[in-house]
Amino acid sequence: MTAPPPARGPTPEAAPARVPSLGYRILVAALRLVPGFLLLIALPVAALTFVNSHGYAIPISVVAVTAWGAALLAVGAAQYILKPTRAYGPLSIAYSLVGLLYLLYALSLSPYRFSLSGGTASIAAEYSKFLELLLIVPALGIVAGLLTTIEDARSPGGRLPFDFPG
Amino acid sequence: MAALVVPTHRRPPGIYRAAHAVRVVGAIVLVVLVLFAGTVAYSAYEVATSSAESHSLSAQFASNGSVDVSGTFSLSNPGWYPIQGLELSARIANGTGVFLGTFLVGPTTVAPGATGVFPFAIAIPISPSGPAESLLTTDQYLDVHAWGNATYAYLFHISVSLSQNRSWGAPFEGLHASLGAPVVMGGQVSVPVHVTFSDQSSEDDVGTMSFVIISASSVACGGATFPISVPSGSYFDQTEDATLSSGCSPAGGHLVITYTTPSGTLAFPPEPIP
Repeated sequence: MTAPPPARGPTPEAAPARVPSLGYRILVAALRLVPGFLLLIALPVAALTFVNSHGYAIPISVVAVTAWGAALLAVGAAQYILKPTRAYGPLSIAYSLVGLLYLLYALSLSPYRFSLSGGTASIAAEYSKFLELLLIVPALGIVAGLLTTIEDARSPGGRLPFDFPG
Repeated sequence: MAALVVPTHRRPPGIYRAAHAVRVVGAIVLVVLVLFAGTVAYSAYEVATSSAESHSLSAQFASNGSVDVSGTFSLSNPGWYPIQGLELSARIANGTGVFLGTFLVGPTTVAPGATGVFPFAIAIPISPSGPAESLLTTDQYLDVHAWGNATYAYLFHISVSLSQNRSWGAPFEGLHASLGAPVVMGGQVSVPVHVTFSDQSSEDDVGTMSFVIISASSVACGGATFPISVPSGSYFDQTEDATLSSGCSPAGGHLVITYTTPSGTLAFPPEPIP
């Protein structure tokens, strides 16, 4: 009787993917809309209304904030639902692109000035530069989306065991 | 006999890890920027509500016949970020809005938690029609208005504006001189001149006051010189006799009053004689 060949050590294995069902993903995406709505629409609109009511004019309108926020929510929900598919990468790019366009639209309404008065002095600050800095975030999102798209093209389904570990 | 296999997880592909890392960096950048914006907004509010103001406005007579208005302007920065490249322009106007002078501050930096104190001095020439005349004889509020630009928190362009009224106490508030009835004594005609004012400035009036009676035909009829020493906040009320030259009538003329100190001589606006 011959002895079995010695084990060569652990073989790298990816845990099997446990991709949630489409119905489950739609449900979670719908639930994610609630905090997303608060962050992207309710809170900005409330802040905008508050500062406008206190005499501080901000160039962007409530309608624009609502529309761009809704666009982000819609693409974000689609992105989540289609995460197990090859559409995830392009949708990630689309999501960041919407964010980028949102910021560029906001920047086109510059200058953004915020005046504060206290006692005998007042200070007016321009914060357009802050919006320019924020452009970094969707730009990085586009890069990440591109990488995911390339990954899916090279190895379809290859990321699923890591995105949806068993 | 089965080989012992230790279950392990495969390492994610490099491109997957890169995408993940980029997403993490993006999230961190977003959080950092939001926190930065929040702290900047809070700090800027603290700066705006702090008491930026002018202090210790005072005046003294300069040897070149001008009034030197000096003081300090302060801007406190209780926030967490520096105010850099602060350049301020300021103007001072008298109580009727007549421009008196201007000064510049900076460029300078006010560190976080510090108060920038900037001294200024404006020399205002005194002439019969000049704007500084009223500073000598009329209590009033001076309008100090300063404005300028700076960079706050390394990134944000800010405009600073300060407007303040500072009370001004005139050193010869309500200066008034009037002639009494002429008196003939020993063939000479003398006339009493009654001078009143109050020193509302922060400094004593110590010097020599002179007046000359000028007739309607612009002839000097006579005058007198006398020392004064009026403490700050005191009222001055004194009558001095002036001998008139023969045949000279002050009626319709005017009184020219001057005040002389070691620093120089100031001429007050002429007082008409009825």
